[in-house]
Formats: sequence, C-alpha cells, structure tokens
Amino acid sequence: MSADLKAWVLESVAAEASPTRAAVRRRNILVGLLAVASGLAAFVVFAMFTSQGQLVRLGGEIAPQHDVERSVWLVGMTAGGALAIALTATWLALSRGRSMLGRPRTWLVGAIALTPLALFAWKVVCSLGFGDPMAQWPARPGLRCLSLTMLVAAGPLLAFLAVRRSAPAHPALNGAVIGVACGACAWVPLDLWCPVASVPHLLLGHVLPLGILGGLGALLGQALLSVRSR
Amino acid sequence: MERYSNGDNAAFAELYDAIAPRLIGYLRKATRDDVAAEDLMQQTFLQIHRARGTFIPGAPVMPWALAVAKRLMIDSARRRNVELGFLVDTSVEDDRIAGGQTDAASTADLLDAHRVEHRVQQRLDAMPESHRTAYRLVKEEGMSLKRAAELLGTTIPAVKLRTHRAYRALRAVLREEGGPL
Repeated sequence: MSADLKAWVLESVAAEASPTRAAVRRRNILVGLLAVASGLAAFVVFAMFTSQGQLVRLGGEIAPQHDVERSVWLVGMTAGGALAIALTATWLALSRGRSMLGRPRTWLVGAIALTPLALFAWKVVCSLGFGDPMAQWPARPGLRCLSLTMLVAAGPLLAFLAVRRSAPAHPALNGAVIGVACGACAWVPLDLWCPVASVPHLLLGHVLPLGILGGLGALLGQALLSVRSR
Repeated sequence: MERYSNGDNAAFAELYDAIAPRLIGYLRKATRDDVAAEDLMQQTFLQIHRARGTFIPGAPVMPWALAVAKRLMIDSARRRNVELGFLVDTSVEDDRIAGGQTDAASTADLLDAHRVEHRVQQRLDAMPESHRTAYRLVKEEGMSLKRAAELLGTTIPAVKLRTHRAYRALRAVLREEGGPL
C-alpha cells in the first residue's frame, strides 16, 4: 500500500476538525435538555390555548348531563406505565448496544411494532377497571390529541436524530425507532391531558401519530443518518 | 480507536496501519478498480474520523469500517449516475477548435495530435466519474478547489486527491505517447 495514499488520508483527516468523545457527550446533554424543554414548552402552550392552561384533566361533559371522571390513581397508573415504555423506547432508539453498527434489524422492527402496541394495551387495560373513561365521547374524535402529540414530539425528533448522528446499517429503521420513541415520550403528557380512553379515540388521536412519527422518522433517518460521501 | 476517540490525534496513524490493509483489500475486490478503491478508503477514514466522538468503548472497529465502506460504495455508485447527466461534454467543442487549426498544422502533426487526444479521451473515459468530474472542473474549467468541492458536495482534500489521480493517469498516457508532460 502506497505511502502516498496514507499521506493523503492523514492530510484529509488533519484538515477537518471532529469532536472527541467528551465534546460529543457535552453536546448530547445539551441537545437532550433542549429536546425536553421543547416538548414541555409545546405541551404548556398547547394546554394554554385548548384547556385554559390545565395540564392534567380528570374529566368533562361527554353529553348533556353526562359527566365522565377519571381518578388520580388511574392517571398516575397510565402515565407512569407510559413513562416506563417511553423510556425503554428512547433507550432502544438512542443506544447502539455494544456494536458501532447499532441494533439488529429484528430489535428495531420489534421496537417499532411493540411500542405503540404496549402503550395502547396498557392504557386500555388500566382504563377497563375504571369503566367511565372508556365511554364514547362523540365530540372528541382525537384530532386535538393527534395535534398535541405531533407538536410535542417535533422538537425531540430532531434532537434525537442529531444525537444519533449516523447509522451505517438500517438508517431508515433507526429513524423510524427514533420517531416512535418521540411519539411514546409525547404520549406521557398527552395521557395527563386527555381524559378520553375510548378505543376509536385512542386509535386516531394517540396511536396514529406514533405511526406518522415512525414514517417521518424513517424518511428523516434515511436522509440524515445514512453514511454519504462528502 | 479508543485513544483516538478520546482526543489523541497521533493514534490515527496507528489506526490507519491497523485497518487499512484489510479495508483496501475489501474495496479493491469489491470495486475492481484501484483508484476508486483508494478514493473510497480515504472517504471511509474521513467518516471514521468524523464519528470518533461517538465510538462505543470496546466495540470492534473492523466491522464498522467495512459497513461504512460498503455504504460509501453504494452512495458512490448512485452519485456516478447523477454526475453522468451533469457532466458537460467538451469533445464536440474540442473538435471544432481542432478543426480551425488545420490550416496551420501539418497533416502528420495533426494526425499525431488526434491520436494522443484520442488516447487521453479514452483514459479519461476509463477513470471513475468522480475523478473525471473533479479533473474537468479544476484543470479544464479552472474552477477553484473550494468551489469544486462545494459543487461536488465533497471536501477540498477529496477534490485534490481526485484531480491529482486523474492528472497522474493522463500524464502516464502522455508519457507513453511521447507527448508534452
């Protein structure tokens, strides 16, 4: 192998600054804080415009003279479970295991499929025991919940993609996992805010945005995480 | 790699010595083109350099380097198709200019010049698209390295490397033909 080639490679590398591990760690902490701040800010602003700043809602009038209430226990249980699932999904999305190539395809596909399923199942199973929140609420098809999820997840989606930086293997799948993880994180404040647990509402307002975010994440992942020559 | 990711820049040369032979072997076998393989290897090392801060302690380097090289190879093949449409064909223009000089040049000289030109053109056609484009932009159109790098979406050292390789290949043709070096 030619010394000329080695000289060219060393020259190219020397000409370009690259962050060390410590610098990347500092940057990731900053980006993570920005992600949390942007998600919380979006949630608060949304609540200010739609529910007079009420961040946790325990019920409402679903029909004339028919109120629905949910207990604080139910809210704590569903939001706590959602938080655990969201943290697991985020860990899967951002960590790469012990290989620089990231997690295998089966792990990624599993995370994409199981995260919305687990969130939905947890919400339904918990709500079944309390009855009331499962009632149909015709005035709430779920469009506001869909908007809230998308708004809250937008900042973290960009931040998580920046943290992941690159994926030499399965960039689209990695992007999709990041999208779904962001949707799972947005599910937690959504769970506090939305008192409805009827199945059609959950599917449209809570589960569908995770699918949309997964698709968006896949597109962005392919565009931003792929290894490309520059 | 561990030392390099922690900021020890001198460790890069050792990393190069450790993985370059296997990497270039893989790329040569995959591309069947020495020049393209060397270009891809340079880009692979650049990617490793850019991602050094994200290196997982204890992770094996070779599979990662090979995966990056494979991705770059795919990307390079895609780009080649795009660049083919982008490249300006100067051969028609060159013929017209050559046609205007027939009065002044002797027939023998002209035939000789045509033969050398034909050989140079053949060598240009045979080289990787990335090298040909870089050479034409920098040497024929007189574009600056910085502008060419921006246009090709690559780095200045990469443009320099490609132009230099193309230039070297063309010099070799001229040397064989006994033309001006």
